Amino acid sequence: MLRSKRFEILEKRPVNKDGFVIEWPEMGFVAMSSPNDPKPSIRVENGQIVELDEKKRENFDMLDQFIADYTIDASIVEEVMALASLEIARKLVDINVSRSEIVKLSKGLTPAKVLEVLNHMNVVEMMMALQKMRARKTPSNQCHVTNVRDNPVLMAADAAEAGLYGFDEQETTVGVARYAPFNALALLVGSQTARNGVLTQDSLEEATELRLAMLGMTSYAETVSIYGTESVFIDGDDTPWSKSFLASAYASRGAKMRFTSGTGSEVQMAGAEGKSMLYLEIRCVMMAKGAGVQGLQNGSISCIGIPSSVPSGIRAVLAENLATTLFDMEVASGNDQTFSHSEIRRSAKMLCQMLPGTDFIFSGYAAVPNNEDMFAGSNMDSSDLDDYLIIQRDMMVDGGLKPVDEESVIEVRYQAAKALQAIFEELGFPIITNEEVEAATYANSSEDMPQRNVVEDLKAAERILRDGISGYDIALILAKTGYRQTAERIFNMLKQRVAGDYLHTSAIINKDNVVISAVNDENDYMGPGTGYRLSPERWEEIKNIRQAISPKDFD
Amino acid sequence: MTTSSFSIEMKLTEIGTAVKGTNPREVIVAVAPAFGKEMNKTIMRINHASVLREILSGIEEQGAVPRVIRSLRTADLAFMAHGAAKMSGSGISIGLQSRGTAVIHQRDLDPLTNLELFPQSPLITLEMYRAIGRNAAMYALGESPNPVPVVNDEMARPKYQAAAALLYLKECQSLVPDQKPVELKAEFLIKD
Repeated sequence: MLRSKRFEILEKRPVNKDGFVIEWPEMGFVAMSSPNDPKPSIRVENGQIVELDEKKRENFDMLDQFIADYTIDASIVEEVMALASLEIARKLVDINVSRSEIVKLSKGLTPAKVLEVLNHMNVVEMMMALQKMRARKTPSNQCHVTNVRDNPVLMAADAAEAGLYGFDEQETTVGVARYAPFNALALLVGSQTARNGVLTQDSLEEATELRLAMLGMTSYAETVSIYGTESVFIDGDDTPWSKSFLASAYASRGAKMRFTSGTGSEVQMAGAEGKSMLYLEIRCVMMAKGAGVQGLQNGSISCIGIPSSVPSGIRAVLAENLATTLFDMEVASGNDQTFSHSEIRRSAKMLCQMLPGTDFIFSGYAAVPNNEDMFAGSNMDSSDLDDYLIIQRDMMVDGGLKPVDEESVIEVRYQAAKALQAIFEELGFPIITNEEVEAATYANSSEDMPQRNVVEDLKAAERILRDGISGYDIALILAKTGYRQTAERIFNMLKQRVAGDYLHTSAIINKDNVVISAVNDENDYMGPGTGYRLSPERWEEIKNIRQAISPKDFD
Repeated sequence: MTTSSFSIEMKLTEIGTAVKGTNPREVIVAVAPAFGKEMNKTIMRINHASVLREILSGIEEQGAVPRVIRSLRTADLAFMAHGAAKMSGSGISIGLQSRGTAVIHQRDLDPLTNLELFPQSPLITLEMYRAIGRNAAMYALGESPNPVPVVNDEMARPKYQAAAALLYLKECQSLVPDQKPVELKAEFLIKD
C-alpha cells in the first residue's frame, strides 16, 4: 500500500511509542467496569454483616471479611445502601453538601456501591469532588530524590534544592541496598538544610526501613503495599492483618505512615479474578481504612502502564484517588512513574490531580533527572520544573511548588554538602573532599560527581545500623561543627516524633515547625469563596517567575 | 531483527512426564505453558522457534547438553526455572516465558533469586538468547562466566508494561493445575 504522508508523520509522534490494549474483561484487563464485578448488596443480622455485594458471609475472602468487620459501619449500612448510587454521586459534586456529610455516608458503602457511584461521574465531576473531599485544605507535593550511584553528597545537595522548591515530603530509595542508611542520612541533612519540617522517607525492605525510622533518620513510610484480591495478597506473603500490624509498628514509634496500592497490580500478577481494576482498588482503599492507617498512596503507581493502556484508564486512576479521599484518608496521588512518551498526554494526566489539588499531587515528582530516578522514572522530572511552575502561574493554582533563583539553589546545595562533609569527618566515615562538595553544588546528575570508594562507603553505612547512630547524634554533630540551624531543625523533627501530632491525617510540617493536618486545616470547600484559596503572599510567590520581563528591565 | 530469506519451523513433541536428569553436563530449558503452542511469538514478535533454537545452540556450542521441558502448573518465571533446576543433572536451568522473559537458575538458590535475570523481554535480542544459552552451559560445566550484559530502558514501562501483562494473562490461559512438567522433543526445520 502506498503510505499516507500524514499517517507517517503521526506514527512518528511520541504517543505512538506508548502501549495500548483492547479491553479483556474476563481477565480483569478493564478499567472501571467488568461484567464480573458484583452488584451492590448488603444484609446485616445481629449487628454483623452477613452478606456483602452478593456474597454470603461463609463465602467471604479475607478482604471481604476485613472490610465487613472493620471498615463498614453495620449500624448505618442498610440505610446508606438504600440511597441510589446516582444520588450519592450527585452529592459528591454538589457544593451544598459538605465534606463531613459525605464522610458520614462513606461509612455505609460497600465496594460495589462505591464502584457504581464513581461510574456515574465524568472526570470534571471527579475533580470537583476531589477538590471538596481532599482531607487537608492546603494542597501539597512530594518528590523523589535518588541517584544511580547512591552518591550521598549529591543526594544531600539534591534534597536541599528540592526543599527550596517547596516539596513537603521527600522520598528516596537505593540502587545498592546496603547504601540505605547513607541515603536516609543524606536526605535528612539536605532537606533540613533547606527548611524546617520536611518529612523524609527511605523506601526499602520493610525491616530496614522501620529500623531507620526508629533511629530518627527518616520520619515517614509509604511503601507498604496492599492488593485487591486474596491470591495476590498471599503471593506477597501477607494478609490485611499482617499489614495492619506493620502499620501500627510505625505509628507506635512516632513515624507517619500510609499504605500503597493501585489499579493494575492484580492484572499484572494475573490475579484479578476477572474484576475491573477500579473495583479491586476500591477494596484496597476500604481495607486501608479498616486498618486505621491515616492515608494511602494510590493512582496506579508502578502499574500505571496497565490502566493507561485501556479506555477510561486515566479516569479510573483519578477515580481511585477520589475513593481514597471519600474514606477520609490522606491521598498521595501518584503521577510518580513514567507512563507516556507524550508530553501532551503526561501533562493532561497530571492536571487531573493538580487542578483540584490533593494532599500530595505527586508521590513523588522526580526532583532529579528521570534517568537518576531509582523508582524507574516519574511522570515529571527536574527538567520539567519550569513548565510546572508556569502552569501554576497560568492557572492560578497551587501545585505545592515555588519558583527559586539559581543563586539560592547553588548556596543551599553547597551548605548541604558541607554539612554532610562535617558529619562524615566527625564519624570517621570515608572523607568527602572539597572537590566533591564543589561538584555537588553545581551538579545535574551523578555523572557530574567524582567516583567514591563504594566498598568503604558501604562499610561506613552499615555502621549506622550496627552502632545505632541516630538522628539525635547527627543533630549533636551539626551543632558542634557550626551547623546550628540544621541541627535545631533535625532536633525539631525528633521532638515531633515524640509529640506525634503529625500522625494525624494528611499531616505536613511547615517552616515554623507547626503541623498542618486535616485536624487544624480541615478542608471546608463548599463552592466559590470557600475551601483553599491562594493567599496574596502565596500568589506573589507563584507569580514571580524569573522568566517574566518588566518595563524596569529597559531602564 | 534483520529480515532473512529463510524461516525456521519448530516441532515440539511431548514425550511424557519429565524426570530428574543424571547427566552432569545437562542444562534444562523450561518453557512456559503456551510456548510454541497457543503462543508462537515473543512481545517483540520474534518467533519462538528462533528464540529456542538460539538458546539450544548456545548451550551446545559450549559443550553442554540441552533438554527441554514444558511447565504446566506455573507460568511464573522464577518457579518454573527453579523447578527445572532441581530436575537438571547439573542443577542449572533456563526459564523462558512466551513473552520472551528469561532467567538462568540454579537448584541451590531460593526461587526468587537467580544466577542471571533478563526481566525486560522487549530488550532481549536473538544474540542475547544465544549468549544466555552459552552462559547457562558454562555454569553447568563449573565455570564462572561474565553475566550477559543487561540492557535497561526507563521508557520500557510506557511502551511495554501493558503488552507484557496481556501476554502473561494469555500464557496463564494454558495453565494445567497440579500437572507435572512434560518432556519435549524439539525439532527445527529450516525453510528457504
